This record gives sequence, structure tokens and C-alpha cells, in this order.
Amino acid sequence: MGAMSMTHGADRRGLALASAQLSSFDRQFTAQAQVQRPDRYRLLDALPLDTPRIARGSGVSYVAASFGSEAVSQDMGSFDRLLAFDIRTGLVCVEAGMAIGDLQRFLLPRGWYLPIAPGHPRATIGGCIAADVHGKNPARDGTFRALVEELQLHVPGHGLLSLDAHHDADLFAATCGGLGLTGTITRATLRLRRPPGAIALRRVPVANLAEAARVLREAANAQVLYGWHDGQSARFGSGVIHLGLADEEATPPALDTSPARDLPASIAPLPFTVWNARAIALANSWLRRRWCAPGMSVAPLASALFPLNDARWYFAGFGSAGLVELQWLVPHPRFEAFAAALGECVAREQPRIALVSSKLFDGHAHGLAFDGKGIALALHLPSPAAPRQRAFCEQFTQIALAHEGRPNLIKDATLDADSVRRAIADFEVRRLALARYNADGRFRSELTRRLAL
Amino acid sequence: MTAIIVGASSGLGRALAGELAQRGHPLLLIASDARDLQALAADLALRHEVEVATLAMDLAREVDPGARILAALASLPPATALLLPVGLSRRDDAFGLGAGAIGELLAINLHAPLAIVHALLPMLCERHATVVLFGSIAAVRGRGHNVVYASAKRALESAYESLRQAHAPDVLHVQLYRLGFLATNLTWGLRLPLSPAAPATVARRVVARLGKGSFKRYLPRRFALVALLLRALPWFVFRRLRG
Ligand SMILES: Cc1cc2nc3c(=O)[nH]c(=O)nc-3n(C[C@H](O)[C@H](O)[C@H](O)COP(=O)(O)OP(=O)(O)OC[C@H]3O[C@@H](n4cnc5c(N)ncnc54)[C@H](O)[C@@H]3O)c2cc1C
Ligand SMILES: NC(=O)c1ccc[n+]([C@@H]2O[C@H](COP(=O)([O-])OP(=O)(O)OC[C@H]3O[C@@H](n4cnc5c(N)ncnc54)[C@H](OP(=O)(O)O)[C@@H]3O)[C@@H](O)[C@H]2O)c1
Repeated sequence: MGAMSMTHGADRRGLALASAQLSSFDRQFTAQAQVQRPDRYRLLDALPLDTPRIARGSGVSYVAASFGSEAVSQDMGSFDRLLAFDIRTGLVCVEAGMAIGDLQRFLLPRGWYLPIAPGHPRATIGGCIAADVHGKNPARDGTFRALVEELQLHVPGHGLLSLDAHHDADLFAATCGGLGLTGTITRATLRLRRPPGAIALRRVPVANLAEAARVLREAANAQVLYGWHDGQSARFGSGVIHLGLADEEATPPALDTSPARDLPASIAPLPFTVWNARAIALANSWLRRRWCAPGMSVAPLASALFPLNDARWYFAGFGSAGLVELQWLVPHPRFEAFAAALGECVAREQPRIALVSSKLFDGHAHGLAFDGKGIALALHLPSPAAPRQRAFCEQFTQIALAHEGRPNLIKDATLDADSVRRAIADFEVRRLALARYNADGRFRSELTRRLAL
Repeated sequence: MTAIIVGASSGLGRALAGELAQRGHPLLLIASDARDLQALAADLALRHEVEVATLAMDLAREVDPGARILAALASLPPATALLLPVGLSRRDDAFGLGAGAIGELLAINLHAPLAIVHALLPMLCERHATVVLFGSIAAVRGRGHNVVYASAKRALESAYESLRQAHAPDVLHVQLYRLGFLATNLTWGLRLPLSPAAPATVARRVVARLGKGSFKRYLPRRFALVALLLRALPWFVFRRLRG
């Protein structure tokens, strides 16, 4: 559709909407949505006040968090400018639509970087704040909110508000991890860190998830820390922990860091699903040969930050049936039992699992964000609508719930309103804290509908 | 040296600013909202280390935009290019507009470019500068929509001819681009018969030709063919065209 003709008032000069078919990154939800692409500040105010809306970054959330059939998505792609950079103190102020990969590209040659970056370089700063994302070692660095010094938030009817830990502290806290339900973040001031010259990546093979958890806990201070594990029943949990330490001496190999190398926001699926049992077995044995012997390599920081830039074909291989990512954080005292129960379930149900990864967390959960103390396990399952896959997902959720796990709402499309309420003890309190800023339900998405947020 | 961009806050104007800054030109950016201009100026200055000044004014209401531009230029290196990608179109510009709305469209698409060129002309001629005007494929043959917009753009072509006729080629370069569809907010959500060009691609072409003579041409070039076809259509077919 074209512009809303009835909205041509003086302050709505340039308001235009498009109807677009949007899909979540995991391809589990597709909708015909209305999209506004404001490219000037006044256009943030151009939608009629009562229009349901949701802010959208690059749309690289696994779930449909920034669109829905009942809301206008405000695509922040044009708000991607650098506003201020203090090379002495390491503070940068940027607009919220800037992709984190682009920001790292600007910062690294100038001797600074953002120590917390999600795996997808196209995630925007607004998306990273609103989902309170974690990076390569959340136990050491915390989640994205730790970097945010100040925010500017657009609230319909109230204009642009400046927020930080002292001014409007509650709204500031609710916006970090607030899934776009407090307004549209327009800019943020972020605290930077000095980057290491290179990363010395050690590989520590592990026989199972319990051993992985031990290695992760012992390496809590590493710059990069995550595990890759085999998801096949016969070898479930065996794998390797990637442990990256700062290396100031080594000269890393040159790296092409051009934007063209970044993982695309939307990856065209292959016409069929590559990840059948045989392909998964082949891929796992190749990765095992590559990674699962003790060893070390030196990598430029940029490649350690976005290793998924090489995973284009991996994601395309899920075909149009897509995937789900199940990611739960299980407290340390329950992790071994959880891993054992999960191993039994995998042996019984024989699901197809394309990837298992592990990370260490050592924070505490703010709002509905994904944080706490424990080990986070993420599983990629192809064709999640297939009966066996679906049955496994349901059982996985039950096992995680039984072991006091906390789900990652921005990743797991299989979650429903009931299981998140069971998983997050103070869910209702958290929901109401957000609802304070969204009393008329103006901000909404498919995610908020599914979880009755 | 300094390039003046009128209508710099979005679309093609913003892309031109990026391209010129990348080539090291100091800039004077003009549009109606200081917030947009300051954000763009900060970004360009940080990325390309160029001098960027801004001037916020509503060209539909400003009495003497040229005088304000001349004042803003005082602190910048000499200006050698004036680019005018300012523009406004409305989707209800189909014989349904009142006098106020018609006035606004004419003010932005025609009056402001003319007033600014008039005021800056002595300075521009002195520096053998380039004036770049932006027309539209919509002005090739008048239709039942974009009525006022296309009239203004057609009038701009007349202004281009006047400028060329009055100034020797070694005094002033005058360039007019008849633009086809661009992927900007102006076309967002429209069902277009041809895919729109990226503003950055068009900006690169425009900037590369600065100071290289006077001409009128289509951009993207494929729109020359579209214009030819539009003009060649027999009247009984043309009058049936909708959309
Ligand atoms: C391959 C891949 C790897 C990933 N790796 C990680 C990882 O390592 N760690 C991790 O934590 N996450 C990870 N993610 C998840 C991803 O980082 C987050 O979902 C992130 O929010 C996506 O950012 P986006 O800009 O695309 O936001 P969108 O997907 O567009 O939106 C996400 C949420 O943020 C809100 N939002 C976006 N912009 C704004 C704004 N300007 N103002 C207010 N709200 C806004 C939206 O409303 C929505 O609720 C990964 C995702 C993929 C696909
Ligand atoms: N897009 C197309 O498909 C297309 C096709 C043919 C021709 N064109 C022409 O190409 C040029 C650029 O188009 P575009 O798509 O880049 O347009 P755009 O994104 O809408 O940009 C127009 C510029 O003009 C400025 N402007 C509009 N009204 C103003 C006012 N009252 N005061 C001051 N500045 C004002 C805008 O700034 P503010 O809004 O901040 O004021 C903005 O910077 C225009 O002349 C347009 O007519 C475009």
C-alpha cells in the first residue's frame, strides 16, 4: 500500500508506509506487515498516536520480535549515524539503527571496540539494547546493558526523552531488555573498551556437557569462551571449548573485514533442507576432525567477534522449513542433572540437532532478559514442525523447566505464554513493570502476542 | 571546495553529502530540521574528517533563503558547487489540492531552487561553479497525478535553459538530471513499474560529473528510453494510462 492519505498534515510531510512480507530469522513466523522507514526525526512522530507499532532494527532476531500483522514496524535503518566519539575516554554516541558490525569496523582501527557483540554483525545497537544481548563471554562482560551510559528514547506523544541510570532510571532500566515495549530508542551513548591486538584461541576438547561446564567455569575470565558440541545421540555433548585469550605479541593473519563479508540479514533458503541425519553426521565429523584435538591458533579480533560470517550456507541449508534455536540458562547446581536428562531424551527421541553450543553466565536477570548464573545451552533444530522434532522441543522445554532453566525469549519460537510464566518466577511482576510504559498496548509484535506480554 | 546541498537530510541529498564528504569536500547542508542535519554533519565529520556546516530553514516559508545561505557560507572555504535535490511530492496531488498545498509544492520544488540560484549566482559565476538541478521523469508528459509537482519540475527545466543561455560555459556549469525512480522515502511503499535506483549509485554519478560542463540527462540512464516511449505513445493510449 502507499501513504496514508488522511495523514497529510504539516508534521506528517513524508509519512509513507509499505506492506511487506516479513519473516523471522528462524522462518517460523511470516506476516504481511506494515513498515514505515522513517529517515528524519519528525517522521518518528508522523504515525497517528493510536497506531500500534513496534521498533525494528535489522530483523535478525530468531523470533518475530520486531513485526506482527497488527502493528506498524518502524524500521530504524536510516538512523545509522555516528554522533560523537571521544577517542580519549572511549565513549561513542550513535543512532540506534547502526549495525554493530559497522560500529566495530569504525572503532577497531581507532583503538576501541564494544566487548559485547552478538553473533550477527547486522544486529543494530537498538536491537542489542532492547534484547539485552550477550557476546562471546557473558560471564566476564555481562550483557549489553553494561555498556549503555545513556539513551534517547522516542515515546509517541512525549517526543524524545533522555534517559540514564540517574534520570528516569526506571524507564532506562525497562528499556534495556524491554523488547521495544517502552518506545523507540533513537540513540545511545556506549562505553568502549581497548581491544586486544589479537586473540589466541585455544581448543579444549570435552567428552560431554558436564565436562564442558567444568572447563567453562575454570576459564571464566577468557575474552572469548563458548563451546561447540555434537548433537547426535551417540556422541551427545562431546565437543570442544573455544577459549580465547588476549595476545599482544602475535601477528594475526590479515582479514577481509569489508561489509560485504558480513552475514546477510536475510539469507535466502535453499529449496530443500540440507540438514538431514546424514548431513548432520558428516558435518559433525568434519568439525570434530577440525576442532576436537587440543590446539591453538591466532585470530584477528574481528573474526573472533563474528565467526558466523562464514555460516551463510549453514543457515541457508535449513531450507524454507527453517530452524528453531532453543536456548536456556540452567543454574550451576542443576546443570549436570539437566545435561544427563537431556542426553537421555536425545537417545530416546533421536531428534535431528544441527548444533549445540554452550556459554557461561555470571550475572543476574534484569526484567525478562536472558541472564543469571549458570550454563546456557543453545540447540539448533532443523524442520521444527516435523512431528519428531516438535515432540523433542516440547520435552526439552519440560526438562529445562524441571531444572529451573531460564529461556531466551528473543531466540526460542517454541515458547508459549504458559511455559515462560513457569520458567520466570517473577514474570508477572516483570510484565507489569513493562506494561507501565505500554498501558494502551500501543507497542506490540508477534512475540508479545505469543507470550501475552 | 565547499559544496552546498539544499535538501540534504534524506534520500538523494543525504547520499550526495556522503559521496562529497568521502571525496574531502567541505559541506553546507540545508533542510528544514536541525536534528537531521546535525546528525548527518556529525557522522560525516567523524568518518571523513571534513568541515560540515548546517543551516536549518523551512524553504516553504523562508522569505530570503539565499541571503541565509550566503551568511552561512562566510565561515567556509569558497563554494564551487550548488546541488539542489530539494523536493516534495504528495500522493494526493491529483487535482484535489487547495491553494495552500499547491503553494507549498511550488515553493519547495520551484520557488526555493530559483530563489537560491538567483541569490548565489554572482558568487557562483565568480568561482566557475556548478549548479545541479534535479528534474523528474514525472515531468516528461503531464498526467492526472503529480500535477503540481510535475509542473514545477517542468518549469525547472526552463530555468536550466535560461541559466545555460545566459552564462558562457566557462563561467557556469549548469547540469540538470531528470531522475527516474530512486529508492528513497518518496517512493517507499509505491508499486513502481521499474525497480528504483539506489541513491548512493546516483550520487556517485552526479558527483563524478561536477565541474564537467553543462548538460541535461536522465539518471539512471535507462529512463531515457522510458521517456522516449512515454512521449511516443499515441494520445488515445497515453490518456488511458493509470497508476
Ligand atoms: C545468527 C544469529 C546470531 C545471534 N547471536 C546472538 C548472540 O550471540 N547473543 C545474543 O544475545 N543474541 C544473538 N542473536 C540475537 C540477536 O542479536 C538479537 O535478536 C538482536 O535483538 C537483533 O537485533 P536487530 O537489530 O535485528 O533487532 P530486531 O530483530 O529488529 O528487533 C529485536 C527486538 O529489539 C527491538 N528493537 C530493535 N530496535 C529497536 C529500537 N531502536 N528501539 C527499541 N527497540 C528496538 C524490537 O522491537 C524487538 O523487540 C543472534 C541472532 C542471529 C540470527
Ligand atoms: N525519489 C524519486 O523516485 C525521485 C524521482 C524523480 C525525481 N526526484 C527528485 O529528486 C530529488 C531528491 O528526491 P528524494 O527522493 O531524495 O527526496 P526526499 O528524500 O524526500 O528529500 C527531499 C529533501 O528536500 C528537503 N525538503 C523538503 N521540504 C523542505 C522544506 N520545506 N524546507 C527545507 N527542506 C525541505 C527535505 O528535507 P526536510 O524534509 O528535512 O525538510 C529533504 O532533505 C527531489 O528533487 C525529487 O523531486 C526523486
